[in-house]
Amino acid sequence: MITPVMIDSTIKVLIDLILATAAIIIVKRDMLSLISTYSVQSFLLFSMALVLYAENGSTMLLYLAVLTLVSKVIVIPKVMEKVQKKLNIKRDVEFHYLSPTSALFTSMFIILVVHLLLSRILAELQLSNMFFLGATVGISLMFMGMIIIFSRKQTITNIVGYLTMENGVLLFSLFLTELPMIIEVLIIVDLVMLTLMATILAFGINATIDEFHARLNPFIKISESKLFGVKQNTCGAESRASPAGKAVPNMQKFGGDMK
Amino acid sequence: MIMQLYAGIGLAILVLILSARSHKTMNALSKIHAAAYLLITIYALMYTALPSYYLADRYFFMDHLGAFEVIISALLFFLSAVYSKGYVEGLMKIGELDRGNLKLFYTAFNLLLIAVTYSFLSNNLALFWIFAELTTVFSAMLVVTLNAKKNIGAALKYLFMASTSMLFSFVGLIFLFTLTGHALGAGTLNWDILMSNAAQLSPKILFAAFIFMFIGFAAKSGVAPFHGWLPTVYAKAPSAISAILSGSVSTVGLYGIIRAYAIVHQTSASYSASLLLMAFGFFSVAVAAFSMLAQINLKKLIAFSSIENTGLMLIGTGIGTPIAIFWMLFHMLAHALTKALLFFSGGVMHRQYGSMHIDRIKNALKLQPLASLGIIIGCAAIIGMPPFAIFLSKLYILLQAGMFSNWMLFGLLLLLLVAAGAFAMYLTRMFSQTGDDIEGAHVENYTPSRGMNASIIVLIALIFVLGVFFPQYLTDLLNSIVSELGL
Amino acid sequence: MSASFIEYGILNIIFAVFVSPLFISMIKKVKALAQGRRGPSILQAYYNTFKLLKKETVYSTNSSWVMRTTPYVNMAVMCVAALFVPMILMPAPVSSIGNIILFLYLLALAKFFMALSGLDAGSTFGGMGSSREMTLSAIIEPVIIVVFAALAFAMKTTNMIEMFLGILKSGALFSNPVLILVSISLFIIIIVESARIPVDNPETHLELTMVHEAMILEQSGKNLAMMEWSHAIKQMLLMGILINILFPVGIATELTLAGIAVSALIFILKASVLSAIIGLFESSIAKSRLFHLPDLFMIAMFFSLATILIEVFA
Repeated sequence: MITPVMIDSTIKVLIDLILATAAIIIVKRDMLSLISTYSVQSFLLFSMALVLYAENGSTMLLYLAVLTLVSKVIVIPKVMEKVQKKLNIKRDVEFHYLSPTSALFTSMFIILVVHLLLSRILAELQLSNMFFLGATVGISLMFMGMIIIFSRKQTITNIVGYLTMENGVLLFSLFLTELPMIIEVLIIVDLVMLTLMATILAFGINATIDEFHARLNPFIKISESKLFGVKQNTCGAESRASPAGKAVPNMQKFGGDMK
Repeated sequence: MIMQLYAGIGLAILVLILSARSHKTMNALSKIHAAAYLLITIYALMYTALPSYYLADRYFFMDHLGAFEVIISALLFFLSAVYSKGYVEGLMKIGELDRGNLKLFYTAFNLLLIAVTYSFLSNNLALFWIFAELTTVFSAMLVVTLNAKKNIGAALKYLFMASTSMLFSFVGLIFLFTLTGHALGAGTLNWDILMSNAAQLSPKILFAAFIFMFIGFAAKSGVAPFHGWLPTVYAKAPSAISAILSGSVSTVGLYGIIRAYAIVHQTSASYSASLLLMAFGFFSVAVAAFSMLAQINLKKLIAFSSIENTGLMLIGTGIGTPIAIFWMLFHMLAHALTKALLFFSGGVMHRQYGSMHIDRIKNALKLQPLASLGIIIGCAAIIGMPPFAIFLSKLYILLQAGMFSNWMLFGLLLLLLVAAGAFAMYLTRMFSQTGDDIEGAHVENYTPSRGMNASIIVLIALIFVLGVFFPQYLTDLLNSIVSELGL
Repeated sequence: MSASFIEYGILNIIFAVFVSPLFISMIKKVKALAQGRRGPSILQAYYNTFKLLKKETVYSTNSSWVMRTTPYVNMAVMCVAALFVPMILMPAPVSSIGNIILFLYLLALAKFFMALSGLDAGSTFGGMGSSREMTLSAIIEPVIIVVFAALAFAMKTTNMIEMFLGILKSGALFSNPVLILVSISLFIIIIVESARIPVDNPETHLELTMVHEAMILEQSGKNLAMMEWSHAIKQMLLMGILINILFPVGIATELTLAGIAVSALIFILKASVLSAIIGLFESSIAKSRLFHLPDLFMIAMFFSLATILIEVFA
């Protein structure tokens, strides 16, 4: 009853749904739905591992499937929800360099380019179609994860982007049989992320990685320097070169007039 | 047997540190750890036949390059542990480091040593990848131990950029695995098998895999344009750790690039790979040189100098002639020592003035003679002044670059001149700030501890000795590395 | 154009015209039940239509022939479009009746006239509704084309009737799971085209949230009846496409009385299930902000483009 064609089609369906979840992560603004979309994506990967196991029979895939289920569908989303609750951030509204629509167009373009390049490079290896598809989508998922990291500000969204990248790598390696150390590698990557989140939980940072966003708010510097008579130099050496540092003297001029 | 020794000592030290109570014990344990690794490696180098393989699947091995790297790192860790004793005490006194975080600091310190050592001793590239990631995690942990909020941002940025790029590098590994699976029948990621069968691998795919791998390892060692995390992290980390980051952790990335390049060098993709390395190296030197002109934070200045030197080493690797590789390896050693000197002296300055900002450092020569001497000598050494060690390596790498392309040599010389100028500007400004300080009149004299002074003096001596007397043993060692790499 | 096709045409159009209001009120009923109310009866749409047919038609003094002809144009277009989607009887395909692109253009024609009529009376509500509708259309039309292109790629033909025949013969989902992906996109298109939440609120009385409702605000009497009727027919046609792709089982292939009756009942059953799903889907989410709608459409387009790519690559 289960023919190779059916397995191929199921793989195709799963891959498309995975791409859709990645697109949803790029576009969505609501933090909790980002995390749940990520666990749906990991669950799809888990099903893909099971389907491939049914086709191949290699036990490594079974271990991978269980590992994915435990760590990516259950543990990591739970930890992220805890972090989100502690930081109390509900939405991640601002987009950096790419609006959602252009980000999706860019991803579409990237998928095409990746496919072109891969077909040129891997042509002589005569790989199966499914492997090729897995490679293309895996690498495209990595780039889409990078788009997420670049275009968003909140740390949790960046973490979800990184985890999407990792899912892309996992997707790619699912199509290989007997990749050594893949399980250890994935454990390490998850470890990295868990360390990150434990750090955030423990120290409770203010959620944006890029501290230079403080630059965009010159009024903070003015109020500090006016109220406390603090020299702008001690606001940290690196802020010297920032526009806020340059903006302050001008504003102080006006402020001085208004006194 | 050697592997078990490393593992055994490492575990023992870790357990002891976790149960230790005072700073002195923890520090002494770290010193013992680093010294033990140093001695074991020197013993293995001198008395056993290298390369030797360990473990069933030949996942670990020690060849001359690995031993060389481990010696450099162990030496650095040892000196850093010596320096940390006084430095960490000082940090705790002014409240930048909590007593509770002390255990975390030393645990991460020793874990980092283990991770670095094992990454240099891995034969299997996937295993190398794992240990490289672990070094990222542990060094991020070390950066976080300080109490500043900005440290956490810096550590997160570092984790993100390094891990993201390492994912690319893993994709490169997957390509390599697929390639060997088709060419050799059974896929493998063991470096020695890859080296011996490199000629059978398809150059195009190998080059594609090399590009992906390069991305990851380049981000780890701070090659532009993946260097965004480096200045912030080096500046925010405690100075003892910055020395280790610059000398050991960056070298892990460079080590990966060298190993990958050694494989590609044997196929027809070698020329494109060389061009790639040289282009990125040149770009790093350019970015670093021009950024250095604007710096006012001493540690950031030194950090950009690290980027510049990494770029130079990349160019050396890219040129690919045996002489270039020889001197690039020497440059690794010399650079690690000189950077350590700079960071240690900078750390003393930080303790003295409470900040690395140039306007705060006044009367340096009077207040901190040894550290000032360290900075002056360090800066002179790092821009390549004789009789210090870096002069030799820079000279020969530049000569080799000239043989490759005159324009590149010209450009490099200009950029290195810019970097040297930046250093000179900074030093002049820093040491000419004397006279009456109206607000700074209450700057108390900070006496660095014996350990800090000792490590600075030892480093000055080392880079002087290396620059003047070039031991025959070192020549033999470096030559055997070059021949092992097939270059 | 054989006789059997003419019979099929008449049958299909009559079925479409007379059964479509049922599903409008069914969706309303489901939504009401989800909100804990009893809701209007299932035949409410019929009552409304008959009531409107008896009322007087009033035209604004500023309106032109557009206002007077639009309802008839819409109705005619929808009846022609009904030929394209077999619901109770599957005929043999005839030349280009059933062509997807033609179907899309028919729907676009109806939408165009509706937008014009919204502007025709010169009131601000109408203008606002038309402009919003056209803005959303400009973004959703490419998406619809891509979705139908994905369907065409998957089934290797652009004639919808051929597609349905193919699916019927080869056993639907089990032979081609990729159709699931197309169905998801089609579902999103149904929501958009029949002006349902989250795209547009079909029951709103607030101009802030009106898109479709605003355009037909000026219509009255039998014109209004025809506009709402054509809207119902459009929704049923799109639902019919989705049903034919997912579960074409039970549709009659020959013209026998028993067969037609059974087929009609089965279709009404399937469409009711689909209406319930739509109703529940509508009840579970809120209307999106107008400026967030392009993001939703982009996801649908990305999804369909990915489907096409996957079909092409592998």
